[in-house]
Amino acid sequence: MPGSSAPRVNSLALLILPSALLFALFFFLPIGLMAVMSVLTGNPVVMPNVAFTTKHYARMGNDSYYLEVISTTLRIGLWTTLVALVIGYPLAHWMARIKSRTGHALLLMAVLAPMLTGIVVRTFAWMTLLSDKGVINQILISLGLIARPLQLMYNEAGIIIGLVHIYVPFMVLTLTGVIGRIDERLEQAAENLGASPWRAFLEVTLPLSLPGILAGSLLVFALAISAYVTPILLGGFQIMTLPILIYQQISANFNVGFAAALGMVLLVISLSLVIAYNHVLGLVSGQRELQ
Amino acid sequence: MSAAIEIAGVSKVYDGGVRAVDTVAMDIRPGEFFSLLGPSGCGKTTTLRMIAGFDTPSSGEIRLDGADITHVPAHKRDMAMVFQNYALFPHRTVAENVAFGLRMRKVDKATIAAKVKAALAMVELAGMEDRRPAQLSGGQQQRVALARAIVISPRVLLCDEPLGALDKKLRQQMQFELKQLQKNLGVTLVFVTHDQEEALAMSDRIAVMNAGRVEQVGTPVEIYDQPRTRFVADFIGDTNIFRGQCVTMDQGTGIAVGNSLALALPRPVAAAQGEVVSVALRPEKITIAAADQSETRSSGTSARGTVESTNFLGGAVLYRIVLDGGQRVLAQQPNSGAGPLHTPGQAVALGWRPADLVILED
Repeated sequence: MPGSSAPRVNSLALLILPSALLFALFFFLPIGLMAVMSVLTGNPVVMPNVAFTTKHYARMGNDSYYLEVISTTLRIGLWTTLVALVIGYPLAHWMARIKSRTGHALLLMAVLAPMLTGIVVRTFAWMTLLSDKGVINQILISLGLIARPLQLMYNEAGIIIGLVHIYVPFMVLTLTGVIGRIDERLEQAAENLGASPWRAFLEVTLPLSLPGILAGSLLVFALAISAYVTPILLGGFQIMTLPILIYQQISANFNVGFAAALGMVLLVISLSLVIAYNHVLGLVSGQRELQ
Repeated sequence: MSAAIEIAGVSKVYDGGVRAVDTVAMDIRPGEFFSLLGPSGCGKTTTLRMIAGFDTPSSGEIRLDGADITHVPAHKRDMAMVFQNYALFPHRTVAENVAFGLRMRKVDKATIAAKVKAALAMVELAGMEDRRPAQLSGGQQQRVALARAIVISPRVLLCDEPLGALDKKLRQQMQFELKQLQKNLGVTLVFVTHDQEEALAMSDRIAVMNAGRVEQVGTPVEIYDQPRTRFVADFIGDTNIFRGQCVTMDQGTGIAVGNSLALALPRPVAAAQGEVVSVALRPEKITIAAADQSETRSSGTSARGTVESTNFLGGAVLYRIVLDGGQRVLAQQPNSGAGPLHTPGQAVALGWRPADLVILED
């Protein structure tokens, strides 16, 4: 029988061929091309005498404007992640622990429903709420609470509000899975031993849901720093983020090399976060699942 | 330290109208080993969870040393529970698990260290302080859960089938140790189990539950020898149950089972002539003799039958016998070595004392 098992493994391995091809064609190839473009003086397809250069990267390092854009992007990403976590965690905990099936279905629908609408539509909806003549400002003015409209958009806060709304479902769904797998009896055991419900949460549920917090945060952060539509519409080109800058470099400046270099920066940030995540997760769960 | 628990007319109705616990009443005495025994779904775990404070009764009252605790939150009840799956904190070491309750009580560090050490020594886990629960065997996890519970010197110890996951040998050892520990500490212990042997072996008193109700509360001997209801007689140990119409016999009241079997009752019953009465008879109270010797037994009711099967159990022999009237009866004899075993097909005469018949409520 040992002889017959080898071809079976091979035929199973063939099954991953489509996805492997897909990855190679649409993932590694474009990224590889981008990496190559970021260190060339021009496009080798149209310019025959291109040369190797580091000028795109040097430009980023020498001009504080580009560093400013990178830090704005990261700041928006961090705030979005933090707010999404604060909003998403209680919701996820509720969803994971709710007894009634109808209640669970309703919550899940509430979380998923916004995802059925396009990002552009949702962002425009926020604009009707947040603009100077928007719903919020109009109500506050008519109530006499403020004299002139509050600046709720065309700034980082507006972008963060829009991004949180779009990415909170990713946080909730990631966390719900992890919290749902934590045995409820652990919290009961903590309460039984004298911990208040809040203390039991801090001592037991929160540390055990750390892998979910990390995964959800990573996902939301990576999505938020690469968001394009929402920062443009809610930032109104007043706030410059990396994806907007990349788009401008390609469409307005035709500087594909520099755009590729900026893209590489975005990619390296996300990749280093994934590596850090795996490392931290290894530490956290390594303690738990020794055996 | 130990406390009395009164459960007064407690019911638990879940959404959808399921009555998990139905007007249960029982008094648990201080320092008592009290078991809630019943099949799964009988309401015993729900009752325990209401004592612990994880569930709130829909009606009724729970009192701890006379004080109403029905609506006191779990963390203020000063009870400790050993969960069925132990519920050890997987992200904490053995020592941290055991120290948890003391830490919540704001005990100072030196005292915690000393108490944790003593508790782990008591359950024979000294030296395991820095292990994680996942690195321990089932029996060791069980002991950690026990140490974590007793280290806070709770007023009541609650155990939800704590020995269910252990293999038989280890379970018997832990039964003995838990009983010893409970006696030494003098703590009131409420023990939930579906294993009647376990309940009989360990308890001071047992409440037998079925379908959300308490069928009977009593000592193991009372529960076994004087079952009050048909359910208790059937659930605890092997038993023969006869149902028959009430008749008047030479010896007093009796019941007629079918056409050929009449049983004299040990005492008069309230039932009128012709009403159906159930009685229980334990297999080991029946004596068996080869049919030809039967007339030597002068006293006692007897019946005749044929051996259907003989099960040799080692310490005892269990016979399945078909009576001449067609009823099947289990009879158990100690393996005393007196005479050969009765073999299938053999005609036998059965005898018992009327006093061994227990009249049951339905």
